[in-house]
Amino acid sequence: MAIEQISRRSFIKTTGTAGLALWLGLSAKGSTRKTTNIATAKNFSPFILVEYNGSITIYNIKPEIGQGTFQSVPAVIAEEFEVSLNQVTIKNTSGEPEFGNGQSAGGSSSIRNGYNEYRKIGAAARIVFIAAAAGRWQVSPDNCYAENGKVFNKATNQSFTYSELVEDAAKINLPKEPKLKDPKDFKIIGKMSHRPDIPLKTCGKAQFGIDVQVPGMVYASVERCPVLGGILKSFDASEALKMPGVLKVVKAERIIGNYRYTGVAVIANSFWATLQARKKLKIDWDYDGYDNFNSEDYEEHLRKLADEDGLVDKNIGDITKVNVSPQNSVEAFYETPVVAHSPMEPMNAVARVQGDKLEIWTSTQVPGSIMGTGANALPRSTGFLPENVKMHNMFVGGGFGRRLSVDYIIEAVNIAKQYDKPVKLIWSREDTTQLGPFRPMTFSKLSGGFSDDGKLVTFTHKVISPSLSESRRPDFDKTKVDGSMVEGIGDQDYQIPNIKTSYVRADYHVPIGPWRSVTSSTLSFAHECFIDELAHKAGKDPLDFRMSLLAPDSDTAKIFQKLREVSNWDQPLGNRRGRGVGQWKFFAGQCAQAVEVTHKADGTIKVDKVYAVIDLGVAVNPDNVANQTEGAVVMALTAATKPAITWKQGKVMQHNFYDNTMIRINEVPEVEVHILTGEGKIKGVGEPGLPPFAPALANAIFAATRKRIRKMPFELKA
Amino acid sequence: MKYHSKNKLHFLPKRTFIVIGALLLAVGLMSFGLTRKHDGEKITVVKDSIGSVAAFKQVYKVLQSPRCMNCHPSGDIPLQGDDSHLHTMSPHRGPDGMGMYAMKCSNCHQPTNTPGLHTPPGNPKWHLPPADMKMVFQGRTAHQLAKQIMDPNRNGHKNMQQLIAHASDTLVKSGWHPGEGRTLPPMSYAAFKKAWITWLTKGAYAPPGK
Amino acid sequence: MITLNINQKDYQVDADPDMPLLWAIRDIVGLTGTKFGCGVAQCGACVVHLNGEAVRSCVTKVGRAAGQKIVTIEGLSQNNDHPLQVAWNEENVPQCGYCHSGQIMSAAVLLRENSNPTDEDIDMAMSGNICRCGTYLRIRKAIHLAAEMQRKVSSSK
Repeated sequence: MAIEQISRRSFIKTTGTAGLALWLGLSAKGSTRKTTNIATAKNFSPFILVEYNGSITIYNIKPEIGQGTFQSVPAVIAEEFEVSLNQVTIKNTSGEPEFGNGQSAGGSSSIRNGYNEYRKIGAAARIVFIAAAAGRWQVSPDNCYAENGKVFNKATNQSFTYSELVEDAAKINLPKEPKLKDPKDFKIIGKMSHRPDIPLKTCGKAQFGIDVQVPGMVYASVERCPVLGGILKSFDASEALKMPGVLKVVKAERIIGNYRYTGVAVIANSFWATLQARKKLKIDWDYDGYDNFNSEDYEEHLRKLADEDGLVDKNIGDITKVNVSPQNSVEAFYETPVVAHSPMEPMNAVARVQGDKLEIWTSTQVPGSIMGTGANALPRSTGFLPENVKMHNMFVGGGFGRRLSVDYIIEAVNIAKQYDKPVKLIWSREDTTQLGPFRPMTFSKLSGGFSDDGKLVTFTHKVISPSLSESRRPDFDKTKVDGSMVEGIGDQDYQIPNIKTSYVRADYHVPIGPWRSVTSSTLSFAHECFIDELAHKAGKDPLDFRMSLLAPDSDTAKIFQKLREVSNWDQPLGNRRGRGVGQWKFFAGQCAQAVEVTHKADGTIKVDKVYAVIDLGVAVNPDNVANQTEGAVVMALTAATKPAITWKQGKVMQHNFYDNTMIRINEVPEVEVHILTGEGKIKGVGEPGLPPFAPALANAIFAATRKRIRKMPFELKA
Repeated sequence: MKYHSKNKLHFLPKRTFIVIGALLLAVGLMSFGLTRKHDGEKITVVKDSIGSVAAFKQVYKVLQSPRCMNCHPSGDIPLQGDDSHLHTMSPHRGPDGMGMYAMKCSNCHQPTNTPGLHTPPGNPKWHLPPADMKMVFQGRTAHQLAKQIMDPNRNGHKNMQQLIAHASDTLVKSGWHPGEGRTLPPMSYAAFKKAWITWLTKGAYAPPGK
Repeated sequence: MITLNINQKDYQVDADPDMPLLWAIRDIVGLTGTKFGCGVAQCGACVVHLNGEAVRSCVTKVGRAAGQKIVTIEGLSQNNDHPLQVAWNEENVPQCGYCHSGQIMSAAVLLRENSNPTDEDIDMAMSGNICRCGTYLRIRKAIHLAAEMQRKVSSSK
């Protein structure tokens, strides 16, 4: 990417900003060109706005879903631009075309993918302002430096603020390859900083999607088929319409991935009234056979599918040419559950339809695709032209992958189309728990074989599960492996001469989607627990065994080395205590954890402490990295030990936090986070803390009790 | 089973029991003796160990039902649901049985039941027994529980008259008005109250056992 | 019309007395700091103070709150400077932040009743508040810090 600048008076007028302003951003085209109209500046992503009146704005294109981009993205830009975060206004973007198609939060990618670009734009901006000041003083730019939003003349100590230099800076071309700061001079990156969104979140001022109030707004909620997949035949709203506050009852279509569902929406003057009226709807559903669906039957079906060969993912060496004697081989079968994302902010959106114009206020991880032009993007699926759609993305009360899907927004739009006022659709907690998309289960069949001299020579991992891509992508090809379902299992650093990984796809009628750390959140459990089984077979310490499979300069070996040290791995634990290890390397990044447990006299397992080592390359805000990783452990503990989502006769058996339970404060272990930085490539933060935890915990329970756990969720009991 | 909010207390001993076997009574019920109701009526105990034990067996079934036992737990956290699992959010009893800090019973449990499934049942007096008088039902045998109920040091310092009156307590009665989706105790409130009073007035015998 | 006294201000609210206080506060009065999380008193996102107690507004009927003293997160302090708010910022507690109005309102009752809470006290007070982001360890740390700040202020008085 190259750098581009825009100086534009006409745009400023329309935004009501006084005086001249300068937009600085990145161009996907690799050119540095100028334009006077930002709306026609194709492929241009502005990140910085410096105005003549003194204000500096940094745009955060990554929705703030709790992961801290409201600080981390601007911090990287501010670092190079030489402004402090206290002197700038940070604005979240809302999918506006001028902010480009990078406007999404997912895959732990905000810093991982953007770091170098954010630095470049900040550095280019600094260089331009320094050049502008140097021009005014008639000195070489080398005799100037920037700090705190000002350019200083080294010789005279005179200074100009950036705002005073806007007009001059607008005339200077941005450097294509700006010189970046030496990391040792960093003032923000790598330092503990307070997140500027936090003060808003401690006094109730942070506005989430559900908090938006638009003049004239009414409320809606939707009664949907209790059996997922059932079809609306007819409904009688006469009783519901008699309820106080009820305004209208309409059909509401929701599109999620490749699925379409129709429910019945009650529109009323308060959300509470919609909930009361929903109970009075008389609806005739056609369950279409889905009321025969039971989780237990489906799990049995997956177990049977495990006998199929499936499609080959990775084939390293040749597993068929190695003879392993039966006494040297280990086999195991692992099972994991379906879970819901359950963000604290229930799904919601406000939609206003006026003629062919649509305006949306919501919380989403993907404002870019809501404004996008693709077939799956919201404008096309709701029948609006992209240029007629305006959206406002608010603070997001938890994403975890749930808000990568825009089904709830489509549903709101479809309701708003049928009413002449803005409609706020809110899902109840039960709706949010039961309607998906869910994290799919994966079942794993694994085998490993040792040579007669004790070396691990074969390893196979076959995944049996429904397909995320089949659920979400219209162009899914069944004859190919869905890479997202074998995520990471062929990519670990363990050096085993013969590895085969494969996938057996299972038909499924339930909408599924990525859940924080995607399929790594289940596959790591099978994979890393099985590595433990192999270590046990080899009669080796689990960490020593893993190290014996690793090249010493591999990232995993380095992470383990640090983990060994910080977790006091080699110090024996007391009686009835156990320690386990797990790691995972996948698209989002890499983390390893050691978990300590106590097998209490009453048979319960207490999770005492978790040591996490996360490998990052760079930690923009180390304290936020620690917070993310602590939270990842808590979320992984919930997924490993709390009830799963299950179906009986087509109905989801969990409803709300009383049966879809979450870890609470009295159940959390101590978590100690260590960050590896300084070398290596930049890796993600938000997700890598999850996959290592469940296997590390199960392995710790094995160490304490000799009981091998091969199925999640499991009770903390032995 | 319908709940009668008008408090029609058909089984309160309006009639006077005939005093017989006064000597036996004095020996058998030293801790109670003759008690006096506030309206001046006397409660008369007619000793009948078989009848009393039989009545307590009925009482015991109710006291061990989730509707009673869930708020008489062996620990300091109440139980929930028909399977009497630990209350999912772990509220603690607190010294007075009203909960602790931000987790006081009445923060969620309203004066009346909240409509809907799995919502907090309500009562103006919703609480657990206090910390210095836990009145545990959970895990108690019939023998233990009968002894406990008759022991003023373990029953909240209640005498016979107060024990009888306790059957009419609003919180006790709310067991028969548990909110949507919860099973009722194994007999009607009227049958329970009758058994309770029968047990007490026939000598409050504990069933044999440990 | 029902009078609700919220953050020392009276509001005339035209609502069914059976409507949960949460919706009156959010949708009628327009104070949206108090959050909807579960609707059945399970998660604590909707905690407000009713006569000083940390009630769950999603199951508290407007009728129960009429004429009583209600405090929401917006009224906990004048300038986001309650010791808990200061500590929450100092320890960078929130991630998504959605549950934290409720967390802070629950913690405020704990601190009022116990100026030096132990970890166990904090668990007892806060186990009704779910944080899906998992910021519990920081919540605990921030409550200790706030308690310390509060004790310093009261000992210097």
